[in-house]
Amino acid sequence: MNNVYSITAKQLAALGQDNIPAELQSSAHMIYSSPATLAFNSPGAQGFGVKRAGLSIPGSVMLLAAPACCGRNTTLAGGKEGDSDKFFYMLMDETDIVTGRHLSKIPEAVKEVCEACEQPPSVVMICITCVDALLGTDMERVCRKASAFVGIPVLPCYMYALTREGRLPPMAAVRKSIYSLLEPTPKKPTSVNLLGYFSPIDDECELYTMLKKAGVTQIREISRCENFNEYMKMSEANFNLILNQEARYAAQDMADRLEIPGIELNRMYQIDKIQTQYKLFGEAAGIKFDDQKYYDEALSAIEECYKKHSNRIFAVGEWVNADPFELSLALIRYGFSVSDIYGTAGEINFAYIKKISDISPETRIYSNLSPTMLYHSAENSDADAFIGQDAAYYHSECPGIYWNEERQPFGYSGVKRLFTSLNTALSGGIINE
Amino acid sequence: MNNLLKRLSPFAPDLSGAVSVLYELGGLTVICDAGGCTGNICGFDEPRWFHKKSAIFSAGLRDIDAILGRDDKLIEKLQDAASKTNVDFTTLVGTPVPAVIATDFKALKRMAEKRTGLPSITIETTGTRYYDEGAEQAYLELFKTFSVEQLPVKKGSAGVIGATPLDFSNLEAEKNITVYLENRGWKNTTCYGMGSGLEFIKKASAVEKNIVVSPSGLKAAEYLKEKFGTPYITNIIPIPESLQKELYELKGKKILIIHQQVAANSVRDLILKKTEADITVASWFMLKESLMQEHDFRLTEEDQLKGILESGDYDVVIGDEIFRRVMKKYNGRFIDFPHFAVSGRLEK
Repeated sequence: MNNVYSITAKQLAALGQDNIPAELQSSAHMIYSSPATLAFNSPGAQGFGVKRAGLSIPGSVMLLAAPACCGRNTTLAGGKEGDSDKFFYMLMDETDIVTGRHLSKIPEAVKEVCEACEQPPSVVMICITCVDALLGTDMERVCRKASAFVGIPVLPCYMYALTREGRLPPMAAVRKSIYSLLEPTPKKPTSVNLLGYFSPIDDECELYTMLKKAGVTQIREISRCENFNEYMKMSEANFNLILNQEARYAAQDMADRLEIPGIELNRMYQIDKIQTQYKLFGEAAGIKFDDQKYYDEALSAIEECYKKHSNRIFAVGEWVNADPFELSLALIRYGFSVSDIYGTAGEINFAYIKKISDISPETRIYSNLSPTMLYHSAENSDADAFIGQDAAYYHSECPGIYWNEERQPFGYSGVKRLFTSLNTALSGGIINE
Repeated sequence: MNNLLKRLSPFAPDLSGAVSVLYELGGLTVICDAGGCTGNICGFDEPRWFHKKSAIFSAGLRDIDAILGRDDKLIEKLQDAASKTNVDFTTLVGTPVPAVIATDFKALKRMAEKRTGLPSITIETTGTRYYDEGAEQAYLELFKTFSVEQLPVKKGSAGVIGATPLDFSNLEAEKNITVYLENRGWKNTTCYGMGSGLEFIKKASAVEKNIVVSPSGLKAAEYLKEKFGTPYITNIIPIPESLQKELYELKGKKILIIHQQVAANSVRDLILKKTEADITVASWFMLKESLMQEHDFRLTEEDQLKGILESGDYDVVIGDEIFRRVMKKYNGRFIDFPHFAVSGRLEK
């Protein structure tokens, strides 16, 4: 009773990727949605979920066709983000959820939505939920019908929580949706898209400078497109840089339909790996990147932080702009200690777990979603600093940083900003994150 | 068009109401969803979530579970969670997913009791109705399951049914209600589901009188009256002081109060004690016939509210400030009366 489940990196690595304990697999147990998990476990509740992400196309509005419980909080939460006037709801009753009769009302609802907007929308996104997943709704067809009825694009947006661990999870599907209006266009060799996030990466990120030095004049991100025309120009890109694995499916679709090839770059905090990644990217793209200056700046920030805080023991969470295992590995390799990691172990990050096992075997790994986390107490932990909003929830008495703001850290600039922020927070300063 | 919201968010759904009643009772509550419904409840509809822990879990259903109707897997997970937590009973709460696949909740209840050895209740919410209906079901199931023994009645004791943060928009509601009732002679007050655990539900037959503070408590109060002969009264709730100050100078006005029915009725009574006015109560939620007055009405559509307000029939509207979003052309006076189930806003 009341034992919080955790496992050391050494134990988990020994079990192997194919034998991850059930306690660490969210599909094998009840899910505890503690305040630490709300943004990533149920992004409808906080953060960038399907609904907000679906509004990434400039000038778009969203009609949520679902039972009331699926839309609760959206306008209200959207108020904080300035999106509250962009959400509309067609509420389903019990007959609708059994018969699917709501589908025939969608074109008329879309028309009313358009009429209610102060500015005509560029596109109406129809967000549907678990009910339509189970009904097997052909929402593409419904959207075509609605589009013909109102004369503007209407796109589906699938908030199918039931398929979260499936082949096409909701956050991957929504990325495909938001690029699906792009049409084949002659390519411009000096144009590149950055895919993966719904908010821009750091203005200071070296990727912008390095691409421009390599002759790229136009770098587009959907979150920086000021209007619909600008968004449509994303189809002229010579290639896509995929900065988040959840954008793979969208990138593949763009490769198939628009003949835009993609290159994947991962967000990492180990600067030697960042260096290797840029080298490989340069070789693949036929570009020579000079990244030494950025490498040195990042290294300097790490050293500066380490000089003052080398004795710190971190708890690292997953409500963070990082893979918690990769970030923990980076911290340990830089000489810091990591006592606790709150994360979802799986195929993607097991290699990091094995490396952590080699150099910090007693680091403990917790599943945020385990029912036993109800009884988590920081008293049993050695951590005296945190990274991540979930880790902050468990270690509220410690200093640290959330590191989950909307502007996205990437590359050396991300490392530099992380350690500069950490240095400030651990020295008792206030972080403007 | 009906059922289309253009300025408001949907209000708190039935499953949020059920969870709100169960929150402090020491049970294990499983929301039979994929995760989103639970996230909305925990992240939004349950303001206690950030201050007070409760064993509320998502069943974490996946498409294949729903398609194959894998009740055995659900119960296995329930048993596992129950074995790792200190709980007195389990509850299974419905969502749109079991509604679509027609889950047999009676069978789930039997299976849960057999596997865990704990009493179990089921609340067949669908996510398409509002919080009050879910809360009503939860109160009724709790009293039917746990209030089985006829105990000697304690003089001066009162049981309060229907108090949740969704109704009262205040995390201190239980204290406010207790103080309010003590000032009126009730010395031993239990607010079911807020500030009291399951043991008080079990001893419900011992109270002298039940006090219904929202429509969701009425059915349970009627049940307790029938089963144990406990009488009940209603329309007695503390009105926030900030609101009371606003209720002066309403003499001769035509007033529309929009809230849950008991709260709205109590405000009406308070105004009429002070002065004469023409007052109508409207609610998006249940309007119990026994508590209605002539001209009170149910709100069902956003456009309906907009039309009523823009018609200029009312000098004063008392309701949650969020309604201002649909009354941009209303020229009368507006008095804010927060309703958490509507706006997710607590009283200041």
